[in-house]
Amino acid sequence: MNYEFPDNLKYTKTHEWVRLEDKTATVGITDFAQHQLGDIVYIELPEKGANLERQSSAGEIESVKAVGELLMPLSGRIIEVNSTLVENPELVNSSPFSSGWMLKLEYTNELEINDLLSVEDYKRIAEEEN
Amino acid sequence: MDFISHDEKTIAEMLKIINVPDVDDLFQDIPKDLIIKTLNISEGMSEPDVLDKMKEYGNKNKIYSHSFLGAGCYYHYIPSLVDFVISRSEFYTSYTPYQAEASQGYLQAIYEYQSVISRLTEMEVANASMYDGSTSLAEAAIMASIISGKNQVILLEGVHPDYIDVVKTYCWGQNIELIITSEDKLNDVLNEDIAAVMFQSPNFFGDITDVLVMSNKVKEKYPNCLLIQCMTDPTCLGLLKPPGKTNVDIFVAEGQSFGISPSFGGPGLGIFTAKKKFLRKIPGRLVGKTKEINGDREGFLLTLQAREQHIRREKASSNICTNQALCSLSALIYLVSLGRTGLREIANQNFQKAHYVKKAIASIPGYKILNKKPTYNEFIVRCPNINGLIRECKKMNLLPPLQISTYYPDMSDVVLVCVTELNSRSSIEKFIKAARLAINYEEERAD
Repeated sequence: MNYEFPDNLKYTKTHEWVRLEDKTATVGITDFAQHQLGDIVYIELPEKGANLERQSSAGEIESVKAVGELLMPLSGRIIEVNSTLVENPELVNSSPFSSGWMLKLEYTNELEINDLLSVEDYKRIAEEEN
Repeated sequence: MDFISHDEKTIAEMLKIINVPDVDDLFQDIPKDLIIKTLNISEGMSEPDVLDKMKEYGNKNKIYSHSFLGAGCYYHYIPSLVDFVISRSEFYTSYTPYQAEASQGYLQAIYEYQSVISRLTEMEVANASMYDGSTSLAEAAIMASIISGKNQVILLEGVHPDYIDVVKTYCWGQNIELIITSEDKLNDVLNEDIAAVMFQSPNFFGDITDVLVMSNKVKEKYPNCLLIQCMTDPTCLGLLKPPGKTNVDIFVAEGQSFGISPSFGGPGLGIFTAKKKFLRKIPGRLVGKTKEINGDREGFLLTLQAREQHIRREKASSNICTNQALCSLSALIYLVSLGRTGLREIANQNFQKAHYVKKAIASIPGYKILNKKPTYNEFIVRCPNINGLIRECKKMNLLPPLQISTYYPDMSDVVLVCVTELNSRSSIEKFIKAARLAINYEEERAD
């Protein structure tokens, strides 16, 4: 597979990537996911300050052929959203791991981090789905 | 597809498979008391005889020469062009244009309908239409609740009472709390948990609200509270400030006035428009224009369908999966026949004629106009002898105005008068005469 899988990130089964920092996490969707969706035309992100549970819907990603959901990889409070995506949703296609990031959250349950996937585990899932 | 009729054998086979003894059993959901038992036409009558009989029955209908009845359904002139165009079989028998490659004509017509509605209302987006004004208003309430994430909606008195019933039903189904109050008390009930304020202008009683003043008042304190305006006779847009200029977030209207005959109160046309930022939350269909990847040809298609319930039921803001295509086509042909100046002329005639009647009625002793605000083509009057007025109108072959007590039992002596461009000078003089004669009318006694 010719997709990018940065090894400094954590992943979820539902194709989100998570960059862990001190108490916070940056979240987006993977290169594999954006390829599957195709050209992304619209993104809806949560309100800053919202408290959301793990695996609840934090946003919607609409492409020319499908609509996907962005699921919370960890429970927490939304501290920042990437509002440039509202005008430029195609950034998720061109740069899923940097300017295509979607939200930053302050996580509330450190134990949940153990459930995130390593790059190897995620690669395996993506290969199976491909 | 070829037309292939069923023979008795096939019908019997099909009934056996679904385990239903008789074709009539398929209709058992229809309540028994609604089924016509006898048509009062004897067995074995010839077709011409049946036609004669039907004409005889039909002649029992009282057809008035002119109408003073409005209240949500209006008599306006329908240019001949409207029926001519909509009667073409390509339009008359078409089904929802899912297949862009086979439906370019209808898709273009819907796109043009959206465009004229958008120009007329000066709202940024118009959808392909809804069922009628009342369902459009109800869907607007749901849309506002989804946009804001709040489940309380205020509705101001003066919205058509039938619309209020429909809104109540939809809100009940969606767990939206509906707060009904008067415009004077709006400030007392407004708070941060309110998703939207819904109002009608010109309202059911004919009053025109200064919408800009109201939207400023609401938005000043609660900038995220949506303002939803509805309207039952949008011909007034030929004169009044369009909703796009008064900071209305969602504007809906009953489009029956645009080239659709009143019939028996339907079908109507739901006009639904909104600000562009709410594009993805708008219920119903949207037709867009696009261009070939390799080439310059333009084409039309249904667009933004991910909002619709046949794509994602659980996320859709509405369960409508269609539009009112033939009626929206009528509205399109009506509006393009009139053009901008034509509609202004219609609106002006409605306004002038209604005000002539209003002034004349007000000058008859005993009658009192109850509107405190400016009006368009409808107004309410307290009558000295309401039964007399109804009776005299009928005698003069005029369809009488609405008795408001139909909806508001305490207002037993009030009528809602509607005057449109179709009310001739002579019909107006007759109506004024009827109002004069009514004063001395005495109830006929049964004994």
